[in-house]
Amino acid sequence: MNKESTQLVVDGLREAGVELVVTLPEEPTSSVIRATREDPYFTTVTVTAEGHGIALCAGAALGGRDCVFFTGVAGLLVGTWALAQVGMVYGAPFTIIASYRGDFADKTGIPGSQLLMFRQVLEPQLNMLRIPYEIVKDPDTLKKSILGAKVCSREYGTPIALLLTGEFLA
Amino acid sequence: MNRFECLPLLAEMLEENTLKVTSLSSNARIWSGVWDKGPVFASMNMGLCTGFALGMSLAFPTRKVVALDSDGSLMEDTGVLITLADANPTNLVVLCFDNESYARMGPTATSRKANLARMAEGAGIKSVRLVRTIPEYETAVKEALMTPGPWFILAKVDAETQRVPDKRRGAAMKFDFMDAVERHPDYGAWKRA
Repeated sequence: MNKESTQLVVDGLREAGVELVVTLPEEPTSSVIRATREDPYFTTVTVTAEGHGIALCAGAALGGRDCVFFTGVAGLLVGTWALAQVGMVYGAPFTIIASYRGDFADKTGIPGSQLLMFRQVLEPQLNMLRIPYEIVKDPDTLKKSILGAKVCSREYGTPIALLLTGEFLA
Repeated sequence: MNRFECLPLLAEMLEENTLKVTSLSSNARIWSGVWDKGPVFASMNMGLCTGFALGMSLAFPTRKVVALDSDGSLMEDTGVLITLADANPTNLVVLCFDNESYARMGPTATSRKANLARMAEGAGIKSVRLVRTIPEYETAVKEALMTPGPWFILAKVDAETQRVPDKRRGAAMKFDFMDAVERHPDYGAWKRA
């Protein structure tokens, strides 16, 4: 993610009042994680597996602390069990920001067969888990989406995913 | 030593506003029969109890949070021990009951070679205890509740042979939990920490 997009994400989180950042780092969003680690406004937790990272977000969110989980498509797949539990069963309200690997704009060096798999599974998986999501392609709409995800996750009682593509992966 | 002895003893040592998270099955069922006050998130499914409690500890940094985990559940994702050590929440106590079995379905690896206390130490958790008797258990839990952590206590217990009813589960459990959390005197304390 380039410098401008990274700053937009950081500013969007700050303006939405989301200061607990949980992640298992992956390449497209790693610049955001670095930026939040260096910014004393944020508390960052780097987890060793997506399942307990998602459980961590649920515990914090149901305890009243808004948080965001950064991941990619692979991370969401690994975290399916945890998402089914804390999302479908318990309605934990937190935001997931995921890079939408496999989008046409994805210029990373991952083999095409992997990218195609990511593209094929991500949205069906979120639909299966009943997780509302929004595909964010335009940096100009990002801040509004972050705030909307935070507010609606609380209102709906569910995790909400923002899938970054387009210029965010370019 | 068994959970029917250990959990009532724990209940005597906790304040009403201590936050509790339990794994499913025996921990949730037995705990539901000995404690009905304050915030309890019961029956967190396999591999998720300690992670959920870690999140809760970040939302309530000035209050002890107690995770009642178990060997089968923790072994689903032992990586959480590394995350816990790295995040270093001083208010979190993980009390892992190790009955060396998957409920009544057969032995776990802790009945053979696996040692979750050593894994916790290897993950970087400084305050780790392995307890096998009630006096050892009582001493370790008291110390964990009175001093900064994070704490990991592995309590070796007998496998349960009887199934007890679960009095607190599902949507009603979550409703009670959220009600207790939102009325908690430390709700929102993370903003001031």
